[in-house]
Amino acid sequence: MKWFWFAVANVRRNRRRSATTILIAAVGTAALLVGGGFVQYNYALLRRIAAHDSGHVVLAHRDHFDGDEDLPMQHGVDDASLVKARLEADARVIVALPRLQFSGLISNGDKSAVFIGTGIDAEGESRVRGSSLWKLTAGSTLSARPSEDDLPEIMLGKELARQLRVVPGSTLTLLATTTEGSLNAQDVRVKGIYSVGVPEMDRRAVLVHLPTAQRLLLTDRVSTVSAYLRRIDDTDVVQATMAGLFPGRALQTWRDQAFYYRAVRALYNRIFGLLGAIIVVLVLFAISNTLGMAVVERTREIGTFRALGAVPAQITRNFVLEGLVVGLAGAAIGTAAATLISFAVDRAGAMMPPPPGYSVGYPLLIDRSPALYAAAALVIAAVSAIAAWAVSRKAAARSIVEALAHV
Amino acid sequence: MDHDTTCVAPRVSPAPGRDGAVRAEALQLAAPLLQLRDVAKAYRVGHVTVPALRGVSLDVGEGEFLALVGPSGSGKSTLLHICGLIDAPDAGRYQLEGKDVSRLGPRELAILRRERVGFVFQGFNLVPVLTALENVEIPLLLAGVARAERGARSRASLEAVGLGGLERRRPDELSGGQRQRVAIARAMVGRPRLVLADEPTANLDGATAAQVIDVMRELGRTRGVTFVVATHDERMARHCDRVVALRDGVLA
Repeated sequence: MKWFWFAVANVRRNRRRSATTILIAAVGTAALLVGGGFVQYNYALLRRIAAHDSGHVVLAHRDHFDGDEDLPMQHGVDDASLVKARLEADARVIVALPRLQFSGLISNGDKSAVFIGTGIDAEGESRVRGSSLWKLTAGSTLSARPSEDDLPEIMLGKELARQLRVVPGSTLTLLATTTEGSLNAQDVRVKGIYSVGVPEMDRRAVLVHLPTAQRLLLTDRVSTVSAYLRRIDDTDVVQATMAGLFPGRALQTWRDQAFYYRAVRALYNRIFGLLGAIIVVLVLFAISNTLGMAVVERTREIGTFRALGAVPAQITRNFVLEGLVVGLAGAAIGTAAATLISFAVDRAGAMMPPPPGYSVGYPLLIDRSPALYAAAALVIAAVSAIAAWAVSRKAAARSIVEALAHV
Repeated sequence: MDHDTTCVAPRVSPAPGRDGAVRAEALQLAAPLLQLRDVAKAYRVGHVTVPALRGVSLDVGEGEFLALVGPSGSGKSTLLHICGLIDAPDAGRYQLEGKDVSRLGPRELAILRRERVGFVFQGFNLVPVLTALENVEIPLLLAGVARAERGARSRASLEAVGLGGLERRRPDELSGGQRQRVAIARAMVGRPRLVLADEPTANLDGATAAQVIDVMRELGRTRGVTFVVATHDERMARHCDRVVALRDGVLA
């Protein structure tokens, strides 16, 4: 403890120089925390979106993900009700949602366009996804259950609706190839118009009730059954359980399905990893410079300590402690600054611009994860200690006579 | 640590019988604390080798107060450094307390310095951010002495040099003489057998230098510590038991 206070006293010897170095360490820490917090928030947001889009674990026919189909739903799941019931019996599963992916032509009588459709369990989807993930621009979402009296309901991407010049209440016709290879048509009524957030998808996307899609394709199969879990961390465990329950089926987690999440994560890891490395190197140089000057100025003192019986490791330890004092002071100030900045950003309610390929932005928030804060403080402290060790070890082992003669 | 058996043997292997014991006791009393034989040291300055010591042989007894005198460049400081184990001779042999120190590694030398040797420097070499008491504590702190004992011994050491009550003063709040006395207290706190002082009065006025000399003499006398003092100061030399003159790296 005595040596710690000695280190504190030494840091205070040249206050202006130490203050500048502490400030650099603080700015470095704050930059790491704000940048890291932003990335963490984005990862969490993208994970949530990815998991909500696909479901945490997706079950399908063993050839669904890799094989090509000669006919629609050739690689479909034909016991979806049984799968759903068995999955929902697991307490970790909120709901299991069957989905049917199909494509074809959609026509308003005058004009036709290609669509990519999904047949869904509207009630179950709204239960786990909420309404916020479907950004309605007109009308409303699909009814919880398909109506028996009226035409089947459909939701369209906003660009597709614009192309077909339809509004809620308009009638359209879906044309698709059935599981037997023939063509089938189904009249539908526009219930709502929505935005997926990706312009390409907004030009093609269509949502209908699952029975509507099954009727159109003349099948009782579904493409996939997605299990939605209470906790995202249970994904791998539940996947393993499902593999035991349904041998011979293909299973993918939300991570396998989240191409966008993986791409963004890889990109951010590189960008912010490089920035983080630059910050760490800057802090390393700043502390090396400060302590390097201190070592030169105190060469005679080092010689005195050695003459009094200090071994080089004790000299180095003292400088490492000084580095730690500077680093930890910087980390403490930087942590406080990062916390204030993140709260200020939260309150400002700023939005990020739409990512490439997307038409909507997302809120700019900064995560305040204790693990991140601890890691940043640890990195800055470690960098400071390493810098101190590097600059002092030569001086500590220098000839005592030379050190004492240093002017 | 290696022991030089030729020197230690008389202490541990007295001749049998009463006469042998008496002889051993006499040898022990007569055994010098320092023994240098044909010690040589040269420094390289650029491409030139400058001899600093050329075959110096010297014995210094226990409790002796020895002055090393000579003009600048005569090799006083080099000899002092070798005696204090902070420099090694190129040739010759050096024994401290009968132990050949030439075979000791840096860590063993550091421990030996910590336990056996004290230093007083011309420029005091106090740590400016520490108080007088904390400066005196340094050798004990390096040796890992417990806090309470450290404090007590350091206070006693400051008392012994007449600085009781000034424990909390920092070096810049002390006069030159007081600083040098703090340095002497620091040199003495580890209870060394040998104290080496390099021009301890050079930066002091006459009256203060006299006080510092008195303190050192008194400590040497009361504690039986051997002092080797490199000095230009004739007053200092006059107070020493023996004066050894060096000229061009050899004993004059």
